Amino acid sequence: MKRLLFPLLLLVITGINAQVLSAGAAGDVRADDQAADEEEFRALDQQVQSLKKEVLDLNRELFLLEEDLLFPANSQVAMFVSLDVGTFFDVESVSLELNGKEVAHYLYTEREAEALRRGGVHRIHVSNLKVGEHELVAFFSGKGPHGRDYRRGADVMFDKGIGAKYMELQISDREHKQQPGFLITEWE
Amino acid sequence: MAGRKFLAAAAALLLPAAAVAEQGPVTVEDPHYGEVLFHFYQRDYFTALVHLTAAEERGRVAGHAAEAELLRGGLYLSYGQHDEASLIFERLLADSGDPSIRDRTWFFLAKIRFQRGYFRDAELALAEIRDALPEELEAERRMLAAQVLMRQERYAEAIDSLADWRGSGNWLAYARYNLGVALVRSGRLEEGAALLDRVGRMAADSEELLSLRDKANVALGYSYLQDEQPEASRPVLERVRLAGPFSNKALLGTGWADSAGAQFERALVPWLELRSRDLLDPAVQESLLAVPYAYGRLGANARAAEHYVDAIDAFEDESDRIDRAIERIRRGEMIDALLAADSGGEMGWYWQLEELPTTTENRYLLHLLASHEFQEALKNYRDLRFLQRNLLDWKDSVGVFSHMLETRRLAYASRLPRVEQALADADLDAIDQRRREFESRLNRIVQERDTLALATPREHGLWQEVQALSANPALEADLPAARDAAARLRLMRGVLAWELDKNFKARVWRQRKNLRDLERALAEGRRSRQNVEQARVEGPETLDGFQSRIDALTPRLDTLLARLADLAERQEAYLRRISVRELEAQKERMATYTVQARFALASIYDRAAQLRENP
Repeated sequence: MKRLLFPLLLLVITGINAQVLSAGAAGDVRADDQAADEEEFRALDQQVQSLKKEVLDLNRELFLLEEDLLFPANSQVAMFVSLDVGTFFDVESVSLELNGKEVAHYLYTEREAEALRRGGVHRIHVSNLKVGEHELVAFFSGKGPHGRDYRRGADVMFDKGIGAKYMELQISDREHKQQPGFLITEWE
Repeated sequence: MAGRKFLAAAAALLLPAAAVAEQGPVTVEDPHYGEVLFHFYQRDYFTALVHLTAAEERGRVAGHAAEAELLRGGLYLSYGQHDEASLIFERLLADSGDPSIRDRTWFFLAKIRFQRGYFRDAELALAEIRDALPEELEAERRMLAAQVLMRQERYAEAIDSLADWRGSGNWLAYARYNLGVALVRSGRLEEGAALLDRVGRMAADSEELLSLRDKANVALGYSYLQDEQPEASRPVLERVRLAGPFSNKALLGTGWADSAGAQFERALVPWLELRSRDLLDPAVQESLLAVPYAYGRLGANARAAEHYVDAIDAFEDESDRIDRAIERIRRGEMIDALLAADSGGEMGWYWQLEELPTTTENRYLLHLLASHEFQEALKNYRDLRFLQRNLLDWKDSVGVFSHMLETRRLAYASRLPRVEQALADADLDAIDQRRREFESRLNRIVQERDTLALATPREHGLWQEVQALSANPALEADLPAARDAAARLRLMRGVLAWELDKNFKARVWRQRKNLRDLERALAEGRRSRQNVEQARVEGPETLDGFQSRIDALTPRLDTLLARLADLAERQEAYLRRISVRELEAQKERMATYTVQARFALASIYDRAAQLRENP
């Protein structure tokens, strides 16, 4: 009996010990298997990395192709929404009318609103416009301090020349303290 | 966009929230850069990266060149492309940049390299850190440095690296534990025990630290048992809490310590306690053998035999359960279940499984699932699946693009003849010739002050009539009626002439305006004709250009989709294989236990038979 149980005891202890002592790797798997795993993982990881790079490059080219095709530089107009408010303002929605026609009505999720607060800029609308004068009417709604509801609008005539036109609609309280409103900036 | 305030993107990206120091306000010069940040802040790193590289290619983020580059590096890191990220950081941070951001960047680079098993590269990144990091990160850096050395089995250097550390308690405790274990495993019990003992005695006020303390005591207790020092082992194991993740192992070990001192009755107390606990725990499984062993040593053979039989049943049941788990894994159900619990965001290094589905196989694989090897491989697999979906979406879009081009081609072909006809009908040169003639006529009229030339048809008619009447010879008659009529005619002529003269200036102005309008219209017409001419030449060229871009991208799309599918399959096979192997090792353990139990049982029966034969 003693002869029989000694290896059992050793087995039990070393088996457990390997598990208890292993800091990060699988308990019952042998060290040489683990080394082979790591080797294989790295080989796969290298392939994943290089494939990811190729997919990223392709995505960039497809993205540019789509833009060139749908919104050629000559006629492209893009509208951006940004936020610059000192006190807390929770933007809920923004809507745009271009030449009397509604072209965008966007409801912001909490995650998107947070991205705007941190300085992100949302491309809310992109389309094609002829050279000449156009009218943009924009509205935003949201909640200000003490849960107060805000709805403000702005109306601007702008000139579209040859080449892409970018307009930024910034919701800002810089002009009127505690009163968010639109500041509109144009880029050619 | 002057004055917009936001955290410096790269710093925010590279540093976890707790480590982000207040950054000064940064002005966004370009909405396209802001648009990249919009995706970035929502952790849609892949979209952010695509938009950023596209904006860079189009020169739309020129106002943010340096920052955009840093952001790109950070996004590569988030996207799991640490090699690409390293290249950017090395270039950008080698000798310039904010030193604190630079050091943090190297730290996170080292961390991701370590997690992915690139220990030597991680060490190189750590060596780039020049100044001390903020306290919390500095502690983690020291631990990381020690881990990197340990994984390369450079224990002496690891010990040295921790020797003079006076940093924050938590990280130091982890580092000591890891190093202690590494030393024991490499046969340097005394040095390892000293470190484990410090962790095992530390004051702990959180569950995390209490758990680490227990873990250290269990590791130390078993190390003493293995080294045949049961008397040293027992007090260490008794330091472990009775209810906690390590209590089963501690109870088992305590029993072995007693049993090694031949105190079998005492050993039975912790071992019997284990019988009521979860059989998944290897310590509980082993107690099933330990209990009859103790009974056997105490001479209670019948009871020992009973327990061995129960143990064999339990091991066989467990082995069957493991078999079923292996089957599920082989059918690919485990990885599917793991990813089904995923919230489905984009991808990247920061992602980790939020909740572990409670399937049978996961209960056996907790240890493996928590390992870097498994987690990182799972991330890669998840990323590959995401990219497959992304390219499949593009494949649909490209189909639409081709269709759109075809429609444009048809529209062009049908409109062109009509436009050409309209242009042919409108002889712009002839119109211009007439305009010039009219202009010189107008000039003459002005010069000669020919007011009649600009008269309305009615005025013209009246004038003609007055003229005709004035020529009537009857007016020459020496009669009062004739004299009266002649005087009236003169008056009418005078009034008409005065009217014409009065309106002359306004009429000239109107004609000049008409001329100018005509001139503008002509210019517009010429421009349109030019545009049409240009479109006639370039239209097909532009369409062909798009078509050839599509033609070039389509095979790349197909090839990459095939390669993604292949690599995803291999990545999944890898995950399956390491999982199955882990389970098979557990099954092997069950089999060994069963053999041991049967062998022990047989010798009990043998002895009983011998006793019956030779009482």
